[in-house]
Amino acid sequence: MNPSHGRPARGFWGDLMKKRLTPYLFLAGPLALYFIWVIYPIFRTIVASFTRWDGMTRPRFVGWENFVRLFNDRYFILSLLNNFKWMIGFVILSIPLGLLFAMLMDQKYPGHRIYKSLVYLPMALSFVVIGQIWSWVLEPAGGIVNTFFRWIGLESLAKPWLSDPKIVTYSLIWAALWRQIPYAMVLFLAGLQSVDKEHVEAAIVDGANAFQRFWYVILPELRPAMVIAVTVNIIDSLRAFDIVFVMTRGGPYYSSSVMANYMYIQAFHNYRMGYGAAIAVIQFLITFGFILVYVLNVLKREERI
Amino acid sequence: MRKLLVLVLSVMVLLVFAKERIVINSYMSDPAPRKALAELVEMFQQKYPEYEVVVNTFAHEDFKVLLRTWLASPKGTADVVTWFAGERMRYFAEMGLIVPVEEVFEGSKWEDYFPEAFKSTCSYKDKIYFIPQSWYWWGVYYRKSVFEKLGIKEPKTWDEFLQVCETLKRNGIVPITIGTKFPWTAAGWFDILNLRINGLDYHIALTAGEVPYTDPKLMKVFEYWRQLIDRGYLLPNHTAYEWQEAATFLFRGQAGMYYMGQFIKDVAPAEVKDDLDFFRFPIIDPNVALYEETPIDGFMIPANAPNKKGAIVFLRFIASKEAQEKFAKDLGRLAANVEVAPPDEHARKGLDMILASAGVAQFYDRDTNPEMAEVGMNAFIEFMQNPNRIGDILKRLEAERKRIYGK
Repeated sequence: MNPSHGRPARGFWGDLMKKRLTPYLFLAGPLALYFIWVIYPIFRTIVASFTRWDGMTRPRFVGWENFVRLFNDRYFILSLLNNFKWMIGFVILSIPLGLLFAMLMDQKYPGHRIYKSLVYLPMALSFVVIGQIWSWVLEPAGGIVNTFFRWIGLESLAKPWLSDPKIVTYSLIWAALWRQIPYAMVLFLAGLQSVDKEHVEAAIVDGANAFQRFWYVILPELRPAMVIAVTVNIIDSLRAFDIVFVMTRGGPYYSSSVMANYMYIQAFHNYRMGYGAAIAVIQFLITFGFILVYVLNVLKREERI
Repeated sequence: MRKLLVLVLSVMVLLVFAKERIVINSYMSDPAPRKALAELVEMFQQKYPEYEVVVNTFAHEDFKVLLRTWLASPKGTADVVTWFAGERMRYFAEMGLIVPVEEVFEGSKWEDYFPEAFKSTCSYKDKIYFIPQSWYWWGVYYRKSVFEKLGIKEPKTWDEFLQVCETLKRNGIVPITIGTKFPWTAAGWFDILNLRINGLDYHIALTAGEVPYTDPKLMKVFEYWRQLIDRGYLLPNHTAYEWQEAATFLFRGQAGMYYMGQFIKDVAPAEVKDDLDFFRFPIIDPNVALYEETPIDGFMIPANAPNKKGAIVFLRFIASKEAQEKFAKDLGRLAANVEVAPPDEHARKGLDMILASAGVAQFYDRDTNPEMAEVGMNAFIEFMQNPNRIGDILKRLEAERKRIYGK
């Protein structure tokens, strides 16, 4: 025994245990849970999507029927398009605004902690609460938004935010952004911690103005945070449900419906489990595509490091 | 020895006080009916101290979704559930998810408790599955003081009805309030217009999926409905409101009329309650007899109920005169039990209206298949917002009907 190490000698098996099996033993627990609660339900959903099933009697295999039907279902197509509106809204609004707030909050000025907390506050609320609050804010007759517009004499801007099929989805996206923007801000604030202060100082010495410092020094170094923020926002937009469910239930007549919400109606309200499962499968495939892009991006960066 | 004695004694005490549990899942989430049910349960427990009753209350819309999960799960938790008579009950009876409740009538018969006319609505294949508790009527609700102030009399015909709307509108009052965030309120309008224009047999055939939605006779319903929409008689932005929120426009005097079930009184503030009155929906075609909507609410027993014996005892109590009287009195509804008189003047008026009718329907989403009801009711909302699309809307409904009923 080598006294300087103070460890017991290991034979072949000990070596194998340590190097090969131990990591897997540690992984086994989480993997088992992951399999039971994630992989298996996904598998079951895929199987269910090829059946006609009311959730009670025996499912009947119907092949691709549900999927064919889906792409002839105008309300599903509408829900899909609405999800894309959510995605665009989340990316083009929550990213730049989140970044802007992050830049503002990263400064040290009197009371900066208070401002940070105020902007961060919506993050502490659940979507259900946010949906309820915005239902009241956007209420057409006595809601604060319309009351305000009438008060300043801009009657024409007082719109039926939640009952006009043309604008209802945008109203919902706005309510969701109220929480999503601070979320992006937090991601960027974390990213800003890793920006090398020396680079910024060097840029100041070189005479770069504020915009140049931001554009040429800070922004490139925020790239990892940016990738995370964009992907997380896209995934969040695809799983939008709570706000829609609380504020409009997808109405009026499905005009604000999103995939998750339409799936819920079909599966649990109309008792079409197979059809609902088919919607879930499509939603899964789209989300999975974005997650794949993200994971590949992360892997590539890890390789570089 | 002492220890053993203590043990024996405590077991005996436990046995004496151990109560049998009856679990009730209820959709009575509005404060008034919720309180009435809680008091009924209290009465039951005093009468049958050997039972302990647990009531789980769920919001109405959530209950509709959850019920199926409870009924379908292999191990049941609820012994009694609230529900609606008619198609919506039969749907579960057909799948064997609820059990017959005929033991309730041991030593007596249906007719000792309930009207003969209710029997078929509460039965599936000649077996009774449903114990009715209360029923109510739909009517056009208004505030007496508002009508008096404007010198308006209850309209009897469609033309008079339109005139009332016009008077209200001229006086800056929204003639008709409605909240369609949950679309069933629109189904009320569809039902009553169809009943007034095409009659009960046609309406029943339609809700049973036997009449195409593209039938020209049905088009007439939407033509009448349209008159109200085109003249701007309906509450603007009605899709933003739930039915209770729409009712507040009536309570505050900002809206004039509300076609609604009697349960509107459950949510009326005390100072408005006595000012509320209703009239029978106006006659459109004098050649069509008068039919009304009278949904029946009650209870059933899931097939997976852990304590079916207790459930039967509870339902026997619910069917009894004292229980039915208490519930009807608290809420101003009509008791299903034939021995209970209408609890007040208002209910008497409702009962008289129904007794003078030629027949009754339950309600669109109670008479028709749930899936068809969902697309149908959303289609009505789409029509209310885009009356010009009606041709296209009905074509789509017809495609759905064919898919759902397979004929």
